[in-house]
Amino acid sequence: MNTLAQCAAVVDEAARTATAIPQFTESGPLGVEEAYAIQALSMERRFARGETLAGIKMGLTSRAKMVQVGVAEVIWGRLTNVMRLEEGGALSKRRYVHPRIEPELAFIMKRELCGAVSPAEALSAVEAIAPAMEIIDSRYRDFKFALPDVIADNSSSSGFVVGPWGRPDQDFSNLGIAMEVDGRVVQLGSTAAILGHPLRSLVAAARAAAAIGGLKPGWIVLAGGATAAHPLSVGQHVRTRVQNLGSVSIKVGE
Amino acid sequence: MTEHMVSKVAETLFEASRTGVPCAPVKDLLPAGALDLAYAAQEINTARGLAAGRRLVGRKIGLTSVAVQRQLGVNQPDYGMLFDDMAVPDGWEIAPGRLLQPKVEAEVAFVMERDLDEERLTIADVLRAIAFALPAIEVVDSRIADWKIGILDTIADNASSGLYVLGACPKTLDGLDLRAMGMVMETGGEPVSVGAGAACLGDPLSAVLWLAKTMARVGRPLKAGDTVLSGALGPMAPVTRGDVFEARIEGLGSVRAAFGKDDAK
Repeated sequence: MNTLAQCAAVVDEAARTATAIPQFTESGPLGVEEAYAIQALSMERRFARGETLAGIKMGLTSRAKMVQVGVAEVIWGRLTNVMRLEEGGALSKRRYVHPRIEPELAFIMKRELCGAVSPAEALSAVEAIAPAMEIIDSRYRDFKFALPDVIADNSSSSGFVVGPWGRPDQDFSNLGIAMEVDGRVVQLGSTAAILGHPLRSLVAAARAAAAIGGLKPGWIVLAGGATAAHPLSVGQHVRTRVQNLGSVSIKVGE
Repeated sequence: MTEHMVSKVAETLFEASRTGVPCAPVKDLLPAGALDLAYAAQEINTARGLAAGRRLVGRKIGLTSVAVQRQLGVNQPDYGMLFDDMAVPDGWEIAPGRLLQPKVEAEVAFVMERDLDEERLTIADVLRAIAFALPAIEVVDSRIADWKIGILDTIADNASSGLYVLGACPKTLDGLDLRAMGMVMETGGEPVSVGAGAACLGDPLSAVLWLAKTMARVGRPLKAGDTVLSGALGPMAPVTRGDVFEARIEGLGSVRAAFGKDDAK
């Protein structure tokens, strides 16, 4: 079995060069704790190259998602400035192995939030909410993996795009979501798919982020996918509309 | 010969409903793809219900999701009849004995302000003819054992209808963006079905347009006061005795369907 640092180097290199790798759990047992340690070490390598932490993403927060992956617990990953994509811009597909996209709700933090907090405390730390999309890309061959593999691989998070700012003091527990590719709806859902209420995901994020000193002002928290993910192909224009919040879009370039 | 088969289908489904014992699929009694004959079987039981004194109070639209249409090998929705004895007030307990194998769906319901007798209709006619919209839970049911239904089974079986519950806070269409609305249906604090308005044929109003044209064509046009269940906004959810479902449609309100635990009255 490789050391955690070796695993971190493998997964970092796979992400950097968009190369598929075999899953770690194939070559030996890997626990969830160790997987998070690999994620932390691999992200350290990115920070050493100049990337900066921009927030965190929550994963496996919807029933559709849990069914798709076949698990039942919330996971998290790190967002960096390099992963942020320009709203209305184009992403470069060759930077990913087998990218998929999913609609999200994003929180933008106003104040620090750390550890065990109530939904009310969590909400009071939010500056804004926004429609968003996340690019998920597993570096594992054929998108096959066990849960610890996913966690080690930054919970599949590879990019994100955030739409217009919206007031957090509105009811966002059940906003309709439609993701379109080239004008045709490919996924439909509601923010209620995110743990029943996206704010519960922020509470979970505050708890998870205690391991890294809490959520910081200015950070983005992606609350979790509200529908199944959709595969990306070059030339597509993808747009997500969220009821009352507006839309966010991106093109898929070479 | 055909006439005989159609009445056999109608009789089989009527008996299953009357006795509470589900029957085998009826599709094998009809030629493959004979949607008109399946509707003819449905119509026999509609006429039988009316003759027995049931009041026709609306229609339901089924198969409004592209995924479900594909599953059943069709490219259009279907319809069924709503009778007065199928309406359950919001939150009232539903005795288990009333249904064979219920499931629930959250939908937008419309109540009509005017008759739509014309077959040649546009969305403008439909918009003008609707009095208001309501959130609804449709309790679907199948007289076919284990829901092993094909398209002919569900059409002949009144579009797998059972009961329905309407919310009690009507909203006029002004300013309602039905396509955008989020929908969540929960039981025991768990979201069991999540969706959005656009899941119903792209827009619940498009489904109503299809229904209104179809109803005018087949001679049972929508009338003022009729209720229209426009089609599911998310996946069907199974029902266990004692479950209480609440469906919330963002911007439209909420509605509850409560299933009793015991057979005893």
